[in-house]
Amino acid sequence: MRTWWRAVIRGADVDAQVDEELRFHIESYAEDLMRGGTPREEAIRRARAELGSFAARKEDCRAAWGTRWLDELRADLRYALRTLVKSPGFALVAVGSLALGIGANTAMFSVVQGIILAPLPFPNANRLVFLWQNRPGVPQLDPSYPNFEDWERTSRSFDRMSAVVFHNFDLTAPGRAEHLLGMRVSSSFLATLGVIPAIGRDIARMEDQPNVLSVVLISDRLWKDRFAADRHVAGRSLILDGKSFTVIGVLPAGFHFLADADVITPLRPNMPAIYAERSVNSLAVLARLKSGITIGHAEAEINTIQQNLDLLYPDANRGTGIAVTLLMQQIVGDVRGTVLLLFGAVSLVLLITCANLANLLLARSTARAAEFGIRTALGASRGRIVRQLLTESVVLSLAGGATGVALAGLGLRVLLAALPQSLPRSENIGLHPEVLLFTAGASVAVGIIFGLAPALQSARPDMQGALQQASRGTIGGSHAILGRLVAMQFALTLVLMTGAGLLIRSIRNLWDVNPGFDMQHLISFQVGLSPSLTRTPAETRIGYQQLLARIRQVPGVESADLTNIVPLSGADNGGPFWIGAAPPASLQEAPHALYFWTGPDYLKTMRIPLLQGRFFTPDDELGSAKVVVIDNVLAQSFFPGQNPVGRTLTVGHWGAARIVGVVGHVRHWGLDDPGTYNPRQIYIPVYELPDAMVNDFFRTLKLLVRTTLPAGEVMPAIRNVVYESSPDQPVYAVGTMVEVASESMASRKLPIVLLGAFATLALLLASVGIYGVVSYSVTRRTQEIGIRMALGADRARVSWMIVGQGVRMAGAGLGIGILAATTLVRLLPSFSRLLYGVGQRDPLTLFGVSASLVLVALVACYVPARRAASVDPMRALRHE
Amino acid sequence: MAEKAPVDLLQGTLDMLVLKAVSLGPLHGYGVLLRIQQISQNRLEILQGSLYPALYRLEHEGWIAGEWGQSENNRRARFYRLTAAGERRLETEAKKWNEFAGVIGSILDTVPEQL
Repeated sequence: MRTWWRAVIRGADVDAQVDEELRFHIESYAEDLMRGGTPREEAIRRARAELGSFAARKEDCRAAWGTRWLDELRADLRYALRTLVKSPGFALVAVGSLALGIGANTAMFSVVQGIILAPLPFPNANRLVFLWQNRPGVPQLDPSYPNFEDWERTSRSFDRMSAVVFHNFDLTAPGRAEHLLGMRVSSSFLATLGVIPAIGRDIARMEDQPNVLSVVLISDRLWKDRFAADRHVAGRSLILDGKSFTVIGVLPAGFHFLADADVITPLRPNMPAIYAERSVNSLAVLARLKSGITIGHAEAEINTIQQNLDLLYPDANRGTGIAVTLLMQQIVGDVRGTVLLLFGAVSLVLLITCANLANLLLARSTARAAEFGIRTALGASRGRIVRQLLTESVVLSLAGGATGVALAGLGLRVLLAALPQSLPRSENIGLHPEVLLFTAGASVAVGIIFGLAPALQSARPDMQGALQQASRGTIGGSHAILGRLVAMQFALTLVLMTGAGLLIRSIRNLWDVNPGFDMQHLISFQVGLSPSLTRTPAETRIGYQQLLARIRQVPGVESADLTNIVPLSGADNGGPFWIGAAPPASLQEAPHALYFWTGPDYLKTMRIPLLQGRFFTPDDELGSAKVVVIDNVLAQSFFPGQNPVGRTLTVGHWGAARIVGVVGHVRHWGLDDPGTYNPRQIYIPVYELPDAMVNDFFRTLKLLVRTTLPAGEVMPAIRNVVYESSPDQPVYAVGTMVEVASESMASRKLPIVLLGAFATLALLLASVGIYGVVSYSVTRRTQEIGIRMALGADRARVSWMIVGQGVRMAGAGLGIGILAATTLVRLLPSFSRLLYGVGQRDPLTLFGVSASLVLVALVACYVPARRAASVDPMRALRHE
Repeated sequence: MAEKAPVDLLQGTLDMLVLKAVSLGPLHGYGVLLRIQQISQNRLEILQGSLYPALYRLEHEGWIAGEWGQSENNRRARFYRLTAAGERRLETEAKKWNEFAGVIGSILDTVPEQL
């Protein structure tokens, strides 16, 4: 082994040593001969002759070390590069095709790697789980705080368990006012994740008490931004939501749990009073499974615990189940299916690329038949020629792969900019080493697999036959395979284009859906009202009313009001309700509805139709009679054929109210909302919110503004009005309702963007493919065409013959493609669930795609067909 | 002493002879050639061309080790010596050879009466 390494690594060095050793031998031998009386010249000549030629000896020596294949590889590489440089057109088309195909695959694989394959950045992340409550008909409900406390105390399946509430804070000091992403957690949160603060201490167990000093952990970003990266930051303070918090530590840089939280505070000291109710679904529960405990075991144990809790607190709990979900699954969710689907799609693009490569190599190998004939005649073995050709194709595919990585880098940047914010883990996507390894592997595999068939054909032992066939000048025989590859390319392209076409039709259908309100000229944003204006609940109410009054004065504003949840934004605020005043036996068994806490102008601002009765007035405030407005879905299912106005409806945790009006249903859960999840809607006057809840709740309210001018013109004026009333009021989360609606279709955006890109690439590659094959066949049929024309065929006839040949290849592909596309759509639920208002075999899409492919085939064949028609019969016949 | 007739080298025996030659003391390539001719009293004709590939093969296998040193005429030359592995190898080769030679010899010595 040692000699082998030496020979490989220091080849030149070893060569020199061998030279020296042999020279010593020759000189010693010659001296001996001279001593026996032989003249010097003759002695050296004889010594040389007996040892044989230097070069030949060295070859033998290297063979003894087993490095010959390496020498041959080096020679093959040199030869491959030389032949490729000699045919730059071929090399360019081959490397270009491969770069597009491999580049697209590299980019897509980096998405797969970043979202699905890469583990979450926590130790043993595969043991991190969420615990969710559920009840019949509602698969996932936030657990309540009291239930969480009981689970944490009693369960044995988990190392740690922690409550998490996402709560965003308005920071007003030190520095400028800013709205921060944040969390309220129980003390074991970081320990559950396995994260230790970079500076300072974690939240202590004793801080899980109601009346302790407010402390906060801050992010690395906030630490640098607001405390100039001071290592002694512990003990300094932040004003959040108008309250002072003492900094106890800094999170590690890059800490990311579902979002980039800037502040983490203990939950219990700042918990809204209503969370203490066992029937209020208020938080997420994160837990770390004990080593060796399966999800099934944990789920069984926690459900047993919950059954006891159901018996103890039947009015709050009866009918509750618990589901344990892996954190990774919770984060990635449905996106997993979409990403894998797209990875499948991009591998079709690679197949089309490979068909191009195989076509080019096959065509070239025929052209090079004479070269291989000569090499075989000179004694090259079949294996040697195959190896030479494989080296060439691998060199091509590696060059394509390297260019592809560069293209993927560019493509990823464009893609990440175009992607919806809500795509999980997109911050993880990049050209990581794993991705480059995949690309290298894929490139070599492509080079070998698709170089092998042409190589084997070239190295056929019967070179005589190959030569004869080469001069026969038709596309028959082994060249039928070229036609089949083109057909395959068209079939795959049709599949991709059909997929993209169906998605585009779906999203156009979605935009035509009436969401139940008018989303044009509507802006949504949030304002963190100054702490000086929100010292008491009464002040807070007045503060928001005055703010609204000012905003309504801004030119271009038609109307404006508050709501707690914005339709299509994905925000959820559901709860139990019942008809009449008497509560049901268990709140878990009561029907659920969405609660919209809104101001009186909300209906007018949204342009939701009023169907019966009235909406709220400014007089519907705290102290006046409780009133609610319901949507027509709730009205129809609970008051069929009756007039609901004037009837009593009780909103859980708030109280019995009189129904004063019925309004149109709003598609809250998305334009494609099938109406299965929480479809009932109740509107409650926001100024009737009890004092205890006001300060926490008003902070989360959104302002909706209907404008007569474009958002870009009105928004700066609105900002000015807000800052004028007090400079410490951040304005954030600004967006038009059209943007909100667009973001609600995020799960469709990724497949449309990518499938569209892949289909375009496929079309490009397939047209290069058919063009190449047809023009190659024209070149090889020059003689035949010459004969045909000499025998009287006119130019049009020849053109049609060539075009017909191309279109036949494409047409065969289209037939297969339509079959494959319709079958695939049926078999892939991760695709068919993306369709909306369009059939799986939508004839319009299939027809449009097929027609455009036929058109592409015609155009691609037109140029070679014209060349065929311009063949001069006399010259063609004299050829060869 | 009358010169005996030269014999052809049997295939595969060159390695064994080289090992034997260097087992008597480190030698450079040319020395190996001379030593074998000397011991065999010039009855073995070794093709010079096959000597070096054999040396490199044996070195690659780890049976001999080469080192640069000074030759008797004060020139730089590469000397080969037997390694421990080479010693074992020579032993087994020699044993096999002797067994083989014995069997062949006894067959050739057989006379009709013995059958």
